[in-house]
Amino acid sequence: MNLNFTKEQENFQIEVRSFLNDNLEPQVVEKVKNGIPITKEDSERWHQKLNEKGWLAGTWPKQYGGQEWDVVEKFIFEEECGSAGAPRIVPFGVGMLAPVLMKFGSQEQRDYWLPRMLTGEDWWCQGYSEPGSGSDLASLKTSAVRDGDYYIVNGQKTWTTFAQHANMIFCLVRTSNEGKPQEGISFILIDMNSPGIEVRPIITLDGSHEVNEIFFSDVKVPVKNLVGEENKGWTYAKYLLTHERTGNANVAVSKRKIQKLKKLADDAKKNEQPLSYDPMFASRLAQIEIDLQNLEITNLRTLASVENGEAPGAESSIIKILGSEIEQDIDNLTRKSLGKRAFVNEPDALSTGYNGAEVFPKAAAYASGKYFNHRKKSIYAGSNEIQKNIISKLMLNL
Amino acid sequence: MDFKPSPERQILFDTLKKYFENEYSLSDRNIAAHSDLGYSKKAWEAMRDLGILESLIDPELDGFGGTALDISTVFEALGRGLVVEPFLEVGILAAKVLSKGNEAQKSLVKKILENECLPILAHSEADTEYSKSFVETKLSVEAGGSYKISGTKRMIKHASEATHFLVTCRNTGDAFSKEGISIACIPTDREGIKINSFATIDGGRVSDLTFTNVSISSEELVGELGMSYSIVSHAIDTGILAICSEALGIMERIKELTLEYLKTRKQFGVPIGKFQAIQHRMAQLLVEIEQARSSVINATIYFDDETEREKTISAAKFSIGKIGTLVAEESIQLHGGMGMTWEYDLGHYAKRLVLIDHEFGDEDFHLQKYISL
Repeated sequence: MNLNFTKEQENFQIEVRSFLNDNLEPQVVEKVKNGIPITKEDSERWHQKLNEKGWLAGTWPKQYGGQEWDVVEKFIFEEECGSAGAPRIVPFGVGMLAPVLMKFGSQEQRDYWLPRMLTGEDWWCQGYSEPGSGSDLASLKTSAVRDGDYYIVNGQKTWTTFAQHANMIFCLVRTSNEGKPQEGISFILIDMNSPGIEVRPIITLDGSHEVNEIFFSDVKVPVKNLVGEENKGWTYAKYLLTHERTGNANVAVSKRKIQKLKKLADDAKKNEQPLSYDPMFASRLAQIEIDLQNLEITNLRTLASVENGEAPGAESSIIKILGSEIEQDIDNLTRKSLGKRAFVNEPDALSTGYNGAEVFPKAAAYASGKYFNHRKKSIYAGSNEIQKNIISKLMLNL
Repeated sequence: MDFKPSPERQILFDTLKKYFENEYSLSDRNIAAHSDLGYSKKAWEAMRDLGILESLIDPELDGFGGTALDISTVFEALGRGLVVEPFLEVGILAAKVLSKGNEAQKSLVKKILENECLPILAHSEADTEYSKSFVETKLSVEAGGSYKISGTKRMIKHASEATHFLVTCRNTGDAFSKEGISIACIPTDREGIKINSFATIDGGRVSDLTFTNVSISSEELVGELGMSYSIVSHAIDTGILAICSEALGIMERIKELTLEYLKTRKQFGVPIGKFQAIQHRMAQLLVEIEQARSSVINATIYFDDETEREKTISAAKFSIGKIGTLVAEESIQLHGGMGMTWEYDLGHYAKRLVLIDHEFGDEDFHLQKYISL
């Protein structure tokens, strides 16, 4: 057993830390640490800084402008970003579509779309879920019918994160009704400015606007925007989902949130003592800390097995379940630690330029909102029940 | 980064695993475990011949192991085999204490390896008091520099055949004080010792020991008078690491048994493992067992780090206690009536797994300890 980073890995960690220290904008970090949404412009500025350093798409091959990071380097980079309160890299282009294009796209598609992801010319969103197709994704109905050099797309996508910012969407569409549902799905790239596309916001229970529904009415899509072969899209979609589910441990972010929660509990009072001395509270907190410490090792074990050439398989499902539940536990306890102050919902109080009444403690401004917003974590990217189906099938062989 | 055991340890684990599968029959084990002795002398000797004890003991005392990783590897294998013989009591608790003693006491460790003695640590006193420093047994200083001890030790496993007791006692301080604790190493036929032994639910015998004015010479103290808390504490921490690893081996075996059952037991015309309600419970168990393993790895990594050891040990014992009980209860449920029978292996594994939470502090005790550290 050897759990140490190599000298090179340690040096890389130092380099990442000092880059973050020199380049993060304090007001953006403040937003991230308080859990409020950052703007499109905040993301774009951060992406640009990372791109200048060559780190926007660190895992990409060098020929496309990446660094060919291995899993450990990717882990180090993400953990340091998590600790520092850096904005998350918006994953839809560089993290999700790019691996599909590299593996299944044409050379022309790679040469055209990949550089534009790095420069920020395109903001991608993901067209997977439909109103009738959530966990049962293969039942999707949005149709693409070939008409000369175009597909004509009709249907509806939903839960589309940041569609309001996007100029491009990668979509799963039905191109055949023959055979099994999985065998008639294709993967195409659609310009969001095409005539016939309408984006409507979905406001989530906390009042925020992250997701949308998208309506397609006779939208013309050039045939050259088909990725790979017609009716093979399910294979590409599954490949993409395995990328979506890695890096869900969020250990550094959860550690940072626990530190913040401890501070809150030191300042709050119960029975005339700091809340942190309350045995019930201390017990809840300690259990989360131990779960997180265990997850940190579980996650490193998975990384080590990938590093040593063993496929991660369904281990990423274990990490997804644990990572989402632990983060939800922290949000839950944070809400509880605020007592009556948890009624407050003033997310704007955390933004620069807010001039309403001061919220105290500041964390109360969006703690309950965040708690409700983060119920999504056990639902998205394959609900935790779907993850258990995957574990049953791939690891337990049931 | 690499979480794999070294090739030597992997070979050791595989050898033991195979040995228990082929040579350590559970039905024989159950007869011995619930006999008057509480284990099988024949099995004990056969396993000693394999070098299991040596692998738990430092090279300077004629062993060839003794590191945290060695102990964890061996006890995971012992857990898989549901071994009831006194490796924890003799190979860990007694040997760790004696290794801090004088030359005569150290030589007892070598005698353990030669099967010439069976020393047992007699430390715990109150049923619900798990503190490592809780000692009320009194040590009084007699004229001429000798001592006498009086008090009662409770729930001492495998004590009835012991050749020596390592008795913790105090001459100063309140019952919880870390100051004032001594250890006396005495032959078990010394006058004034009374033994009452009991059967256990998970196999092996336990005893309550009463010491009434038992005479001790100064050479029989392990360590300095009143200064031996750290010796006991370290031995118990090692014991916790060992039984947490044992629990991992038990959980892995339970997972195998349960999966096999889910794939073969048919109801409504299909294997019950085809039902999603069952699949999700089993998937959750797998997730929890991986977390339990991570907690033990964490405790192993920090075992020789004086500042982190107790905290990571408590985190592991808490995790094992919580997850172990869950795994035991869920696996019985998933087996239906079969899980309730004496004849089937599962129930015996489940009993040991639950009772491990009652040894060296349960999940609540270690959660509180974690908070206090």
